[in-house]
Amino acid sequence: MKNLIAVFISASLALAACHDSRKLTPAPETIFDDHGLHVITSFHNDRTGTISVLYGNDEALAHASRERDTHTPGDASPGEVFKLVTWDLKQNPLWFGSNINGAVKSVETVTVSAGESGPVVDYSTEGSDSKSAKNAVLSNAERISFIFAQRASVFP
Amino acid sequence: MNALKHHKYRNAVAVLAGILFTSFVVLQVNSPTVENPPVTSEFHGPEEVTRILKRSCYDCHSNESNLRWYDKVAPFSYKVAADVEEARKRFNFSEWDSIPKADQEGKLWYIVNMIDAGRMPLPEYTATHPSAKVTPEELTILKNYVTSISKKHYAAGDTAAIMEKPKVAHVPTSINGIRYFEDYKTWKVISSTGRPDNGTSRIIYGNDIAVKALEANKILPWPDGAVIVKVVWNSQAPDADGNVKPGNFNNIQIMVRDAKKFADTEGWGFARFSGLDLKPYGKTASFATSCINCHQLAKGTGFVFDIPTRPVGE
Ligand code: HEC
Ligand code: HEC
Repeated sequence: MKNLIAVFISASLALAACHDSRKLTPAPETIFDDHGLHVITSFHNDRTGTISVLYGNDEALAHASRERDTHTPGDASPGEVFKLVTWDLKQNPLWFGSNINGAVKSVETVTVSAGESGPVVDYSTEGSDSKSAKNAVLSNAERISFIFAQRASVFP
Repeated sequence: MNALKHHKYRNAVAVLAGILFTSFVVLQVNSPTVENPPVTSEFHGPEEVTRILKRSCYDCHSNESNLRWYDKVAPFSYKVAADVEEARKRFNFSEWDSIPKADQEGKLWYIVNMIDAGRMPLPEYTATHPSAKVTPEELTILKNYVTSISKKHYAAGDTAAIMEKPKVAHVPTSINGIRYFEDYKTWKVISSTGRPDNGTSRIIYGNDIAVKALEANKILPWPDGAVIVKVVWNSQAPDADGNVKPGNFNNIQIMVRDAKKFADTEGWGFARFSGLDLKPYGKTASFATSCINCHQLAKGTGFVFDIPTRPVGE
């Protein structure tokens, strides 16, 4: 009898849990306020469990849309602003087979301004994902190259 | 006096019982029977998969319905026959190839998700046929199966050179009157998704009304005027670091909230424009029925799947 009750209780708990995973409330805090920037492209990564959208101003979008092999910091033009927003990637609770963004992990900003001897590229990052200071300089350069290398998605 | 009343009462009961019995008999005589037409193109999958589907789904979604005697007794027989008819219309494991090849895999994901949501087999059916229930272990088998077949198809990704075409001159319009527009490009991104199930990447935009509704948690129902746009690209194969980037543009899908105008589809108007030439999807306006049928799985969030959420209570 005791066993039966235990089984019954765990069964109802399992049922309740099942139910709860589909009981959802909006989490609007994960929506990024782009302040008028355009979407350039997006990508996701199952290894790192993240999904990202790259935003940019008119100049940045124009640059990412240009036909080219790669976009290197060398050919950046003053005025370009890029923002790479990265979220956690999680399974969509409403559809097995689709992964959707969760909370914002980091926002990386790259700005290009005019310097005395050519364009100056500035990089900053905010969020939980900041790297240790030791590798920061190297990885900043890597991040800048990575962001510059993204090509604009094709929109109709 | 009392005795007379009693007598009258007994008579009434007898008459009523007579009426009930006669109608019961008439119901039996007219009771619908479920025919089993020939199996033309059966669904083939691994044995452990077909065994589950046969036991749990075939009574309704196949031409091999094996109804119990109590399913054939009126009034239940009416409900069972109607369910079988509707279920076969939706899809039929005995006529699997009547589903276009390209859509078969999507249907399998739909099947898994209907079970996952507790919608299939129909709960009123499992109440009287408990052995038809799909256990959590069996659901895992089905999930692994669909994942493995999709992996095979999409592992290579969209490695084709990315096509860019000149913009279309006219404004593409869906048969239900929803027109393609470009404003969404200035709207906020409400979510982004990557779908291993069909090898696509997506960005979902919401207009101001939709974003405000999310912020105010006023989505049951969503306010009139809310519009949600989803842009879909074929995913490229992952790069060396595992990044899956969008390849060719695939389609754009739109949901427009107008509770009155689209009352038949839970207040949402649906449209889909495929390819860079933005070809409107759907030959008749009834195409939207198939959209909302599946979007019923997102009923708890106002029929919208891709919004940022957290479980209630967290
Ligand atoms: C008692 C009959 C019955 C059984 C058993 C049953 N279904 Fe259904 N199914 C229906 C009916 C009726 C509908 C349409 C109405 C609805 O969606 O509720 C339907 C609809 C569906 C749909 C939606 C298809 C579409 O294109 O709209 C899917 C998917 C589905 N069933 C999967 C399953 C699976 C998987 C099983 C077995 C695990 C199953 N069903 C067992 C009766 C049944
Ligand atoms: C078999 C199930 C299914 C059918 C049929 C379906 N959808 Fe969806 N739809 C989904 C799922 C799952 C998502 C969320 C996952 C994703 O696409 O990223 C979604 C997302 C969407 C979105 C983004 C908003 C949201 O709800 O998340 C739009 C817009 C949309 N669908 C339009 C349509 C239109 C138009 C049709 C009909 C032509 C349609 N859908 C048919 C399953 C379906």
